[in-house]
Amino acid sequence: MTNRIKLYEAFPEGLSAMGGVGTAVHDSGLEHSLIELVDARASQINGCAFCLNMHVTNAVKGGENEMRLLVLPAWRETTWFTERERAALALTEAMTLIAENHVPDDVWEAAAEEFEERELSALMLAICQINAWNRLQVATEAPPRLD
Amino acid sequence: MPPRINYAEAFPEGQKAMYGFAKAVHQSGLEHSLIQLVLTRASQINGCAWCLNMHTRDAIKAGEQPRRLHLLHAWRETPLYSERERAALALTESMTLIAKTRQVPDDVYDAAAAQFNEHDLAALMLTIVEINTWNRLAITAEKSPVLDQTLPG
Repeated sequence: MTNRIKLYEAFPEGLSAMGGVGTAVHDSGLEHSLIELVDARASQINGCAFCLNMHVTNAVKGGENEMRLLVLPAWRETTWFTERERAALALTEAMTLIAENHVPDDVWEAAAEEFEERELSALMLAICQINAWNRLQVATEAPPRLD
Repeated sequence: MPPRINYAEAFPEGQKAMYGFAKAVHQSGLEHSLIQLVLTRASQINGCAWCLNMHTRDAIKAGEQPRRLHLLHAWRETPLYSERERAALALTESMTLIAKTRQVPDDVYDAAAAQFNEHDLAALMLTIVEINTWNRLAITAEKSPVLDQTLPG
């Protein structure tokens, strides 16, 4: 499973520019605990082992409750997530599976209710970024760091 | 239909970083005609009006035949695309629909690796994720193009 290209070696300028987008999101002011939930949820949907391992590990290190991550696919059926988190997770799912049903009005409106425009734009870009990394890591069969 | 949000204005650092990323990708050395096919195909799959309008127009202005854009939906069933283009399009579809495909299968990856050296293959992958980002932003914001009935050129 390990003979596919290593992106950092093959196209360092491109990867560095990807990093620039990540930095913008990271420094946007959006709370990191929320970004980790978004990253975990998208990685679950897209099935990216590398990303899921990394973001779950980071989330737990950052103080996230591990049960919330384990039950995350069923967030709708719990009372464990705030309205703000629920709005972000619904947007994450719609944007991740964009080809299916785009972003319906009720999903958008719930997000716009919880996030002012700058935060909402940063959230949109955060969702795009994890979707980008998921695709790159799956395509290159990047092995999760299981240490 | 007015857009839901102007994300570029609301979060300019993000937009600036995305432009930096786009620049690195478009200056990668990958041929522009191929990039336009990849951008168009992903935008067809994701259903992004803004991107479809922009990239088909750009492609035609740069000399692409409209028929090759129309038939991208069924590229497998025509002889209109080179082996290199076919390999790129298969990778585009596999990566774009990753939640469905769950992986880029060996045959798709190997066909792409046979056509593209490592640098170009990485640039191709980054092109695919770049357009998937632009599609998501524009679709979410309901960014809608103005209809200009005339084909360019």
